[in-house]
Amino acid sequence: MSDLNATSEDILERAEIDKSVRFPVMLFFTSAAVWLFVATALGFLSSLKLAVPTMFQDMPIFGYGRLFPAHMNALVYGWAMQAGMGVILWIMVRLTRVGLGRLQSTCVIVAGHVWNFAVGLGTFGIIFGAGRSLPWLDFPAWLWPLLGASYLLITIWVIPMYRVRRAGGVYVSELFIIGAAVWFPWIFITANVFIGNGAAPVMAAGTNAWFISNLIYFWFAPVSLAVAYYIVPKIAGRPIYSYPLAKMAFWALAILAGWTGFQRFMGGPFPAWMPAISGAASVFILIAVIATATNLLMTLRGRSRLWEFSPSLRFTMFGMFLLAMYGVLAGLNAYFPVGKYLQFSHFLVGLDTLAVYGFFSMTIFGAMYFIVPRITGCEWVSGGMIRWHFWLSAYGILTVVLVMLVGGIAQGGNMADYATRFGLSVENSQGYVIGRILAWLLIGISNLWFVYQMGLMFIGRGRKTEGPTLIHVEPGSVATSEAAAGLTSEEVV
Amino acid sequence: MSSDPNSDQNLDYNSGKTSVVDMHDAVKRERVLMPAGKEQMGMLAMVLCAMILICGGIVLGNSNGFKDSIYAHDGYVPEPRPGEGGDAAAEDNSPWIDKWMKGGKKVYQNCKLCHQDSGMGAPGQYPPLAGSEWVDGGTKRVGAILINGINGPFTVAGQSYNQLMPAWSALNDEKLAQVATYIRRTYGALPEGDDGVVTAEMMKAAREEFGGKGIWDEAGLLAIPEDAMLEGAKVDLLTGEPVQ
Repeated sequence: MSDLNATSEDILERAEIDKSVRFPVMLFFTSAAVWLFVATALGFLSSLKLAVPTMFQDMPIFGYGRLFPAHMNALVYGWAMQAGMGVILWIMVRLTRVGLGRLQSTCVIVAGHVWNFAVGLGTFGIIFGAGRSLPWLDFPAWLWPLLGASYLLITIWVIPMYRVRRAGGVYVSELFIIGAAVWFPWIFITANVFIGNGAAPVMAAGTNAWFISNLIYFWFAPVSLAVAYYIVPKIAGRPIYSYPLAKMAFWALAILAGWTGFQRFMGGPFPAWMPAISGAASVFILIAVIATATNLLMTLRGRSRLWEFSPSLRFTMFGMFLLAMYGVLAGLNAYFPVGKYLQFSHFLVGLDTLAVYGFFSMTIFGAMYFIVPRITGCEWVSGGMIRWHFWLSAYGILTVVLVMLVGGIAQGGNMADYATRFGLSVENSQGYVIGRILAWLLIGISNLWFVYQMGLMFIGRGRKTEGPTLIHVEPGSVATSEAAAGLTSEEVV
Repeated sequence: MSSDPNSDQNLDYNSGKTSVVDMHDAVKRERVLMPAGKEQMGMLAMVLCAMILICGGIVLGNSNGFKDSIYAHDGYVPEPRPGEGGDAAAEDNSPWIDKWMKGGKKVYQNCKLCHQDSGMGAPGQYPPLAGSEWVDGGTKRVGAILINGINGPFTVAGQSYNQLMPAWSALNDEKLAQVATYIRRTYGALPEGDDGVVTAEMMKAAREEFGGKGIWDEAGLLAIPEDAMLEGAKVDLLTGEPVQ
C-alpha cells in the first residue's frame, strides 16, 4: 500500500530533474509550435492550390509540387519529430530519475538549434526548387547527414540515462522510448543511403514507401504510446492495467513494423510477395492496437469522466482513438481488393495526415499540456482556449480523414474505370478538396490558441496562481481533475 | 532489463530525503506512478486478435506463392483494359465478324449434341454439316430448316437419314443468324462471292416467309431453289454496317 500523493522530498527531486531539462525541452516545444503553425499555413495554401490551380500560377514557388512537400516535411520534421524529441527527453529523465547534466544539456540545445536550422534550410530548399521529390524525404540531399547527426546528439542521451537509471525496474514507456530512439536512425540512414546511391528506381520508390510507413510505426506510434502509458496512469491515479499486454504491444511493433510499407505499391513491378507481406504485417500490427486499447480502457475504467476535465488525458485518449482508427484504415488499405481502388488517390494524403496530425500530434499535445506547466512554473492561461484547441483540432482532423477517405474511394473508382477519362477523376474530386481546405482552416485556427498559450508560457506570462487549468472549470478553482469530476482518489495496492 | 513489474520500485520519485519544499504547484499535486499490473488478456481481445491473424493471412495469400518471378496479384487489375485480356472487353475492338462468329459458336452448343464439334454428325444417325448440300447452297434452305425443323427421311451427301430435327424458332433472329453464319463459314464450301454471312435482317425475312408453316419434309424443302438467298443487305465484315 503506497500513498498516491508524493512526499515533499520527491517533489523537490522532481522539480530539480524537471529543471535540468527545462531549456532543451522548451526549445523543442516552442520551435515545434512555430513549425506547426508554418506547416498548417503551407497545408492550407497547398490545398487551396488544388482547388484553384491558377492562383499565383506564374510563380513557381507557389506550385503545388513545392507547397505540398514543404508542408509535409515541415510538419514531420519541424513539428512532429521535434515535439516528440522534447517529450522523449522529459519522460525519460522523469522515469529514470537521472537529470540531464550541464554538458549534455548544452549538447542537446546546440543540436536542437542545428535541427531547426536544417529543417528551415530544407523547407526553403523545397520552396525554391531544390527538393528531391521523395515523399517525406524531400529536403535537399546534402541535408540528411546534418539532420541525422543532430537527431543522434539529441536522443543518444536516453540510452546512458536508461543504463544508469535510479528507478529500479523497467517502466513500459521506457521500452517504447528506447525503441523509438534507436529505430529512427536505422530507417533514416537506410532510406537515405539506399535511395541516394544508385538504387534501382523501382526499389527506390519502394524504399521510400517503406520509410514513410516505418517512420509512422517505428517512431510516431511508439512515442505516442510512451506518452499514453505515462499520462493515463498519472491522471487516473492508477497503475497500468497490465504490463504483459503493454509488452505485447511493444513487441508487436518491434517485430512487425519493419515489414510494412511496400503495400503502398501493390500491383506495382515488385514480386507479388513483397506487397503481400507488407500488407499482412500492417494487418497483424493491429494486435498492438488491441492490446493498447484494452490496457488503457481498463486502466481508466470507472474514471473515464476525468477526460472531460483534464486536457492532457483528453488529448492523449483522443490520440489513442485516432491511432486505432489509423491502424484499421491502414489495414483496410493493405487488403488488395480495397487497396487497389485507394492507392494513388486522396486517401493516402488523408492517411498520412491522420498519422502525423492525427494520433501523433494529439498525444503530443496531451503530453505538452502536462509537461509545460511543470517546467515553466506557471499554468496554462485558459481552459476555454484548450477546449477550443481540442474541438477545432478534432473536427479538423476528422474532416480531413473523412473527406479524403470518401474522396479517395470516388477518385480511385474513377481512375480504375477505363471508360472514364482521367480528367473526370480530378474534376469529381474538387468537392472533396474544398473539404480539405476547410479542415486545414479549422486546424489553423485551433493552433492559433495553442501557439498563443505556448508563447505566454515561454515568456513566463502564464497564470501564476495555484491549481491546475482544467476544461469546464474556473482555472485554479479545484485542486485536481478528480475533484472536478466528482471522483475520490483511490488507494491501490 | 527486468521484466517483472513488481521490481518497478520508486518510479517517478517516491523516495528521497526530506527537505523544505516551496515548489510549483503542478509538481506538488502530481501523482506517483505505480508499478504496472499483471492482468492477462481478456477473452474478447483474444478473439479480436485471432480475427486479425485470419485477416492478415488473407492478405498474405496475395503473394501467389512467394516466388520472385510472380508479379501479378490475383484480382489486382480493377477493370480489364480494352483489348488486353478480359473477354468481354476484348470484343469491343475486334471486327464485327469475329463477334458475330463468337455468338454463333455459342448458339452452336445446341447443335453440336447431334452434329458434333467437327460438324461431321454421327455416320448413319445424324447428318453432317460439312459437305452437306443444304448448307453449301443458298441461305434460304438453311434459314427454312432452322425456323421449322425437318423430319426424315431425307438425303444428305448421298446418304439417307431418318431423323427429326426440331424447329429452333424459339431463338431470336440474331442468334439464328449468328449460328447460320457460323456453320456456313466453318463447315460450308461456299459459292463464289458468298462471304457466308447471314444477318439478323435476313433471318427475319426467313421467319416471315416460313414461320408457322410446320415441320418440313424433304419434298417441301426441295421446292425451295437450291441457290435461293434470303433477302437483306450485305454487310461490311469489319463494322457490321450494311453496304451497297
